[in-house]
Amino acid sequence: MNVETFKYDNRIVRAFAIATVVWGIIGMSAGLLAAVQLFWPEANLNLAFTTFGRVRPLHTNAVIFAFVGNGMFMGIYYSLQRLCKARMYSDRLSWLNFYGWNAIIVAAAITLPLGLTSSKEYAELEWPIDIAITVVWLAFTVNLIGTILKRREKHLYVAIWFYIATAITVALLHVVNSLAVPATAWKSYSIFAGVQDALVQWWYGHNAVAFFLTTPYLGLMYYFLPKAAGRPVFSYRLSIIHFWALIFIYIWAGPHHLLYTALPDWAQSLGVVFSVMLVAPSWGGMLNGLLTLRGAWDKVRQDPMLKFMVVALTAYGMATLEGPTLALKSVNSLSHYTDWTVAHVHTGALGWNGFLTFSVLYWLFPRLYDTKLFSTKLANWHFWIALLGMMFYVVPMYWSGITQGLMWKQFTKEGFMQYPNFLETVLTLIPMYRLRAIGGSLYIIGTFLMAYNLWRTALAGQFVPDVEVQAAPIARDEHLTGSQDPWGHRWLESKPIMLTVLATVAVLIGGLVEIVPMYLIKSNVPTIAAVKPYTALEVLGRDIYIREGCVGCHSQMVRPFRSETERYGEYSKSGEFVYEHPFLWGSKRTGPDLHRVGGKYPDAWHYNHMDDPRTTSPGSIMPNYGWLLTQKLETNSLPARIAALRKVGVPYPEGFEQRALAELKAQAGTIVTNLKSGSIDAQADKEIIAMIAYLQRLGTDIKPPSGGNSAPQVEPTAAPMN
Amino acid sequence: MVKNILQDIGGIGLYGVISLCMFFAVFSGALLWAALHRRAFCQRMSALPLDDEKGSSYE
Repeated sequence: MNVETFKYDNRIVRAFAIATVVWGIIGMSAGLLAAVQLFWPEANLNLAFTTFGRVRPLHTNAVIFAFVGNGMFMGIYYSLQRLCKARMYSDRLSWLNFYGWNAIIVAAAITLPLGLTSSKEYAELEWPIDIAITVVWLAFTVNLIGTILKRREKHLYVAIWFYIATAITVALLHVVNSLAVPATAWKSYSIFAGVQDALVQWWYGHNAVAFFLTTPYLGLMYYFLPKAAGRPVFSYRLSIIHFWALIFIYIWAGPHHLLYTALPDWAQSLGVVFSVMLVAPSWGGMLNGLLTLRGAWDKVRQDPMLKFMVVALTAYGMATLEGPTLALKSVNSLSHYTDWTVAHVHTGALGWNGFLTFSVLYWLFPRLYDTKLFSTKLANWHFWIALLGMMFYVVPMYWSGITQGLMWKQFTKEGFMQYPNFLETVLTLIPMYRLRAIGGSLYIIGTFLMAYNLWRTALAGQFVPDVEVQAAPIARDEHLTGSQDPWGHRWLESKPIMLTVLATVAVLIGGLVEIVPMYLIKSNVPTIAAVKPYTALEVLGRDIYIREGCVGCHSQMVRPFRSETERYGEYSKSGEFVYEHPFLWGSKRTGPDLHRVGGKYPDAWHYNHMDDPRTTSPGSIMPNYGWLLTQKLETNSLPARIAALRKVGVPYPEGFEQRALAELKAQAGTIVTNLKSGSIDAQADKEIIAMIAYLQRLGTDIKPPSGGNSAPQVEPTAAPMN
Repeated sequence: MVKNILQDIGGIGLYGVISLCMFFAVFSGALLWAALHRRAFCQRMSALPLDDEKGSSYE
C-alpha cells in the first residue's frame, strides 16, 4: 500500500491556545469590572470608556468571540488534522484565520469602549469590522473544507459534521443580521426595523449560542472526551441523531427571546414548541458524553482534565433543560428581563464553554510540549476554585432573578402595586450582586492558576512544531457495492460536500419559515397613523443612547401584563417600532423600562438624573453621565445619518437634510428654555439636549405627554402612511 | 391581549402543521438513518479519535 508521510501543524494550535488563555483572562476581567459597577457605580472611574453600558458588550464579545472563539479554533485545528489524517489545507489560510480573528478582537476592544456599537446583542461591532469578520470566517471555512477534501481517512467523524455546521451557519447568521446601511465610517443603521429587526436579531442571537458556543464545542467533546477517557464514543448512532436533530431544531427557537413582546403570536408559539423539542437532542448528546465514561470513572478521580469535562457536560445538560423551561411562556413572564437569564447563560458560559476549554487546554499543553503537566495538584485546585466560583455566581443570580421577578408582579390586597418604585426592587438585589462578584473573582483566580500551570508546563517541555505521521491515501477507485452499503451510510458520511449541502438545507428551513412570512405578510405589523419618524435632534439623541449602551440595562418593551401597564403605562404595540433601526427592546431590566418614559418627568429631572442619578433617585446604581453635559453634540454627520435612515426605509422627505439642522436647533432651544424654568442653565449644543429630546419622545406617539415639560415635536414632514 | 392588536395571518394553521410535519420527517429520518447503520461500521467510527495518531512521534 502506498503510504504517505506528512506533518500535523502544531504551531497554529499553540497560537490559538495562548490567545484563548490571554483573552479569557481579559474577557472575564471585563465581566468583573461590569459586575462590580452594579453595586459600586463609581468603579467606572467616572470615565465613559469604562462605564457599564460600554464594558458589558466588551465582556460578552471578549468571552464569546475571543475566549471561546480562539478555544474553538484551537480544538478544531488540532482535531481536524488528526481526524482527516492530513495537515491543514493551507498554512497561509490558517495564519490569516489566526491574525485576522485576533485583529478583529483587538478592533472590538478598541471600538466598544469608544461607544462604536450597533447595539445588537453579540453583534455590536460596526460595519467595517463586520466585513472583516466575513472575510476571516470565509478563510476558515475554505481551510476547513479544503482539509476535509484532501483527507486520508475516508469517513467523516461526527466531530467534523459539527464543525461544518458551525462554519456555514455562523456565516449565514452573521451576514444576515449585520445587513446595514453605513452612515459614516463607524455608524450604520440596520436594514431591518422594529419587530423584524427583533426577530432577525434573536434568530441570530439564539443561534450564535447554538452554532458558536454549542456545535463546535460538541465537536470538541466528541473528539477530546474519547481521547482522554481512552474509550470509544458510547453510541455513534446516538451522535448521528444528536447532530441532525440539533442543527435542524435549534434554528427555529429564536423567538423564545421575545415572548409577550410585540412579536406576532404565531412566531412566539413556534419558538416555544421548538425550544421544548430541543431538550431531546441536547440530552441525547450529554448522555452520549457521560456514558462514554462508563468503565472509566476511576480515571475521572485522578485526571483533572476529565473532571472539567464531566462538569462541562453536566452544565450543558442543566443549561439545555433550563433553556426550554425558560422558553415556556408562564415561566418566561417571570424570568424575562431579570438576573435569571444572566444565571442561565453563565451556567452555559462558565460551566459548558469555560470548563470544556480548560479541559482541552490541560490535555493539549503537555502534548504540544511533549512533557507532563507541571502540576496536577494545581489543576485540581483550579477545578475546585472554578467550581466554587461558578456556584457563587449562579446561585445568587437565580435568587436575584426570581426575587425581582416576583417583586415586579406583587400587588397588595387592595390591588395596588406592592413595590411601585422600581428602585426598591433593585436595592434588594445589591447583596446578590456582591456575592456574584466574589464568584466571578474566584473563577478568574482559577484561570490565573491554569495560566501559570500551562506556562510552567511549556517551560519544562520542548515544543513540537510539527508531528510527523504516516497514512495511506484514500483509494480513489474504491467503490462500494450495493451489498456493502445498502442504505448509503458510508456514501453520505464520506461525501463532505453533500453533507454540507444537507446541513445547510436543515438550518435554512427553520430560518426561512420564521423570517420570510414576516416580510411577506403585511398584517404582521399593523401600522399606526400617529407614529412618525424621529426628529433630527431625537435621531442624534437615540444614537447617543446606543453609544452609551443604555439598552444593556433598560428595555423599551412594555409587556401586556397588568403589573407592567400599572408600572409603565400602555403596553407596546408592534406598529410603534416601524422606524426603529435598530430596535432597542433590550433583554434586561437592571433599570426600569423606558418605552413610556416620554413626558413622564420634566426636562430638568432628566438633566439632573443624567448628571448624577442619585440626586433624583437616592441609592440608584446607574452611573453618572456627566460627559453628556459637557460634550458638544456632533451635527456634521446629521445629513449622512438622515440619508442612511431614508435608505433603510424611514420616510424622511427629500431635502430634509438641508433644513434638519435648523429644526434641530429650534427643538434644542425649546429644551434649553424648559431647563431654564427648572433653574438649569444649559447650552443648546451639548449632547444632553439631544438625549433629553429622545427620552421625552419615547412612547409618546400613541400617548399624549402628561406632566413634565417635554420637548414639543418638530415633525419631519413624513410621507403619508397607510 | 397580544392577539387583540395583531391580525391573524391567513393560513397560519396550515403553516404550523407543515412545520410540525417537517420536524417529524427530519427527526424520524435521522432515527431511521442511524438505526440502519451496521454495527461494525459504528464501532469503527466511534473509535476513530483513538487511532488518529498512529505512527506519530509522540502519543
